[in-house]
Amino acid sequence: MEFFRKTLDPIIALAAIAVLDIFMFLLMGAWTVGGGETMMTGLMAQAVLGDELDRIPFWSIVFPPHADYWKIYISLGMLFGAFVGAVASKEFYLRVPRHLSEWVLITIGGLLMGFGIRLAYICNVSTFFGLMPEMNLGGYLAMSGIIAGAWVGSLIYKKLLERDT
Amino acid sequence: MTPIVECLVAFLFGSVAGLLMQRSRFCNTAALRDAIMFKTYRNTKAMLVAMMILTVGFTGFMSVGAGHPLQFDVGLNTFAGLFLFGIGMVLAGACTVSTWVKAGEGNIGALWALIFTFVGMFLFSLVWSASWWPPAPQTMTGQINAPALQLGFANAQTLQDKFGIPAIVFGLAQTAFLGLLYRGILRRERAQHAEHEKHQKEHQKKKAAAAAAVEA
Repeated sequence: MEFFRKTLDPIIALAAIAVLDIFMFLLMGAWTVGGGETMMTGLMAQAVLGDELDRIPFWSIVFPPHADYWKIYISLGMLFGAFVGAVASKEFYLRVPRHLSEWVLITIGGLLMGFGIRLAYICNVSTFFGLMPEMNLGGYLAMSGIIAGAWVGSLIYKKLLERDT
Repeated sequence: MTPIVECLVAFLFGSVAGLLMQRSRFCNTAALRDAIMFKTYRNTKAMLVAMMILTVGFTGFMSVGAGHPLQFDVGLNTFAGLFLFGIGMVLAGACTVSTWVKAGEGNIGALWALIFTFVGMFLFSLVWSASWWPPAPQTMTGQINAPALQLGFANAQTLQDKFGIPAIVFGLAQTAFLGLLYRGILRRERAQHAEHEKHQKEHQKKKAAAAAAVEA
């Protein structure tokens, strides 16, 4: 199938996703990832800690873990859809970062992303594909934050590249 | 809708979105990073197009009271959180979307980023449980709350209620602004292209002159 042989124009892909996102906005709410990830974190923490989790009020007051939270399944769907796409187009293979420095950067980056999402109560997907189109004040605050952060991150990244070469 | 149906709809949406993003290599991190670092706009343009469609769609439905917009107070934490996120996504080379999509393609680095996103969230839950800031959803007022550094809640719906002008009017204004940004990018790309062609022509001329000199 042609679809699995050629790279799709991202404008077409994102326009199609936007139309579907409007349908989901009407049914449940706009596309988001951070909320589902937080719920997954809570469920995993509950599985490991059991009743001990009650000692961390965040999980009883802000995000009581429950598995039938719809936002979890957007993320699982994305994993599944991408896996199907990659297998069908013969693009699935294990890619492992080679250098220790890459592992360190990914670890720090992941921690900052997780911490940042929870501090803000939203993720980058909600910012661009939820809050901004709803013209929520938070969308403008978040967008200013993410652009400033990406700029600082790019400066750090450039410095690291220069040091390595 | 029952929670099960909601989860099914969400999974279906996610699957199609994941497939389309895998096939198009769309990445939200690249949309910002590439524009800042490399002055290339492949992903930025796609993001702007989606935002224009969504702004018209969301504010259009919000004008008649349909849809489920997010409702929570925002403030300094919204800016600070996404600032940290912005640094993190560039360092990790992936955002919330691409971690899932790349993990689905077999990228172990993306899976690692995902695991540490969970760890980061858990760490925040510990910090929150000590600081109780930002305010829990139950204590949000929708109004400015200076001691908690909160600006309250406002969106196209509250603008409509306040000014009596349909939300879609504000939405169209925002869409026009995004459209101008998009046009600016297209212009910049054309200028880059023209510059590139000029360089190539000069290079070819120099090559031809050098070849002629050798022959002479």
